Amino acid sequence: MAPRDFHAFVLGRVWYAAAVKTSAPLSFVAFALLLTACGSSLPPPSDRLSSAEAAARSARELGADKEPEAKKYLLFATQQIDSAKKLMAEGDNRRADLVLQRANADAELSVMLAKENNAKHEAAIAQEKVKAVKSGK
Amino acid sequence: MRKNTLALASLFVLVGCGSTLPPKELVDARAAYQSASKGPAAQQSPAELVIAKQSLDQAERLFNDDGDSPQTKDFAYIAIRKAQLADATARAALAVKEKEAAEREAQNLTADQLARARSELSSAKSSLEKTQDQLAREKAAREEAEKRAAQAMADLQKIASVKQESRGMVITLSGSVLFPTNESTLLPGAIVKLNDVAEALTKGNPDANITIEGHTDSQGQRDHNMQLSQKRAESVKDQLVARGVAADRIKTVGIGPDRPIADNKTAEGRANNRRVEIIVHPTK
Repeated sequence: MAPRDFHAFVLGRVWYAAAVKTSAPLSFVAFALLLTACGSSLPPPSDRLSSAEAAARSARELGADKEPEAKKYLLFATQQIDSAKKLMAEGDNRRADLVLQRANADAELSVMLAKENNAKHEAAIAQEKVKAVKSGK
Repeated sequence: MRKNTLALASLFVLVGCGSTLPPKELVDARAAYQSASKGPAAQQSPAELVIAKQSLDQAERLFNDDGDSPQTKDFAYIAIRKAQLADATARAALAVKEKEAAEREAQNLTADQLARARSELSSAKSSLEKTQDQLAREKAAREEAEKRAAQAMADLQKIASVKQESRGMVITLSGSVLFPTNESTLLPGAIVKLNDVAEALTKGNPDANITIEGHTDSQGQRDHNMQLSQKRAESVKDQLVARGVAADRIKTVGIGPDRPIADNKTAEGRANNRRVEIIVHPTK
């Protein structure tokens, strides 16, 4: 059974037990409280946050700001990092973790687009040098 | 009653099961992976392409389990980025290969040019050495010629009057030393002198052109003097040729009384005018 399915199974059993043992309104309140408790019991995704921030920093150092596509995904990454920090401050670590996974993907893409731009620039310089040598300069 | 219950149950099943249409993010993720797998990523970045596929599969599983949930959309979003990452990695790898190929080509061209330049330099150096040798030989030959000319001049000055004029070196021999009066046959003493002149000419100026001019004083018939001066010039030529001076380099001219160098009114002047001039023209 997948972890998420097991989670739902447990919640279902708890609710059933609460519904059978107590009155209906009270069982719903208990269930809601249980749900909230399970969401905030996840630890803060600090490692994922550090990873996303490091990737964004790498993208900037590689010159992502100079290439439009790289800059776009760097912006997505930084916006999502900021959203994740707010979610972590509110205690919604589960949602923050998902947002940070998106931020990491955006930052990694920004890094590679910046590397691609640099590699193309260096290739162009090397080809210009070939032309210069051929023309005898 | 039964029909209403059945309809309600069907509706409940449909609502309960959720929509079967995938979210836009998942559709885009599938398309992104398809595009990446058909591009250079298959060759240049296969590992990243595998990761992109795994990411897409995870999003598909979530969609099967949870339908159009926020989590499905999150993982579809990530799957899109992974496919784009595989593509960008491949393009970067290709650009690096292009740069390396260009650098190798530039290096080879430079090496070729260097080899050609060295070869040309070696040829030029060899040519220069040959030219320098030739120049040295020519200089030596010139110096030798000048030395011989100077020696010839010195030798001639012992036996005749020698002057350097614009028309060349002029060797003047007195008519009375060379010929009896009114004749064009050489005196025995003249032959000896002319032999010395011929030796000096062949040593000093072997390639020079020579003009022999016969001159007379103004006494007697002009026609006679013209003929006499021509014959005397030819007699001198014949003797020089006999001693090795090239005949095709000698021209003879009878000037007669037309170019005196002294006053014909005095005996001394007339004696000076009766002469043969051997002009050695400068070599070009």
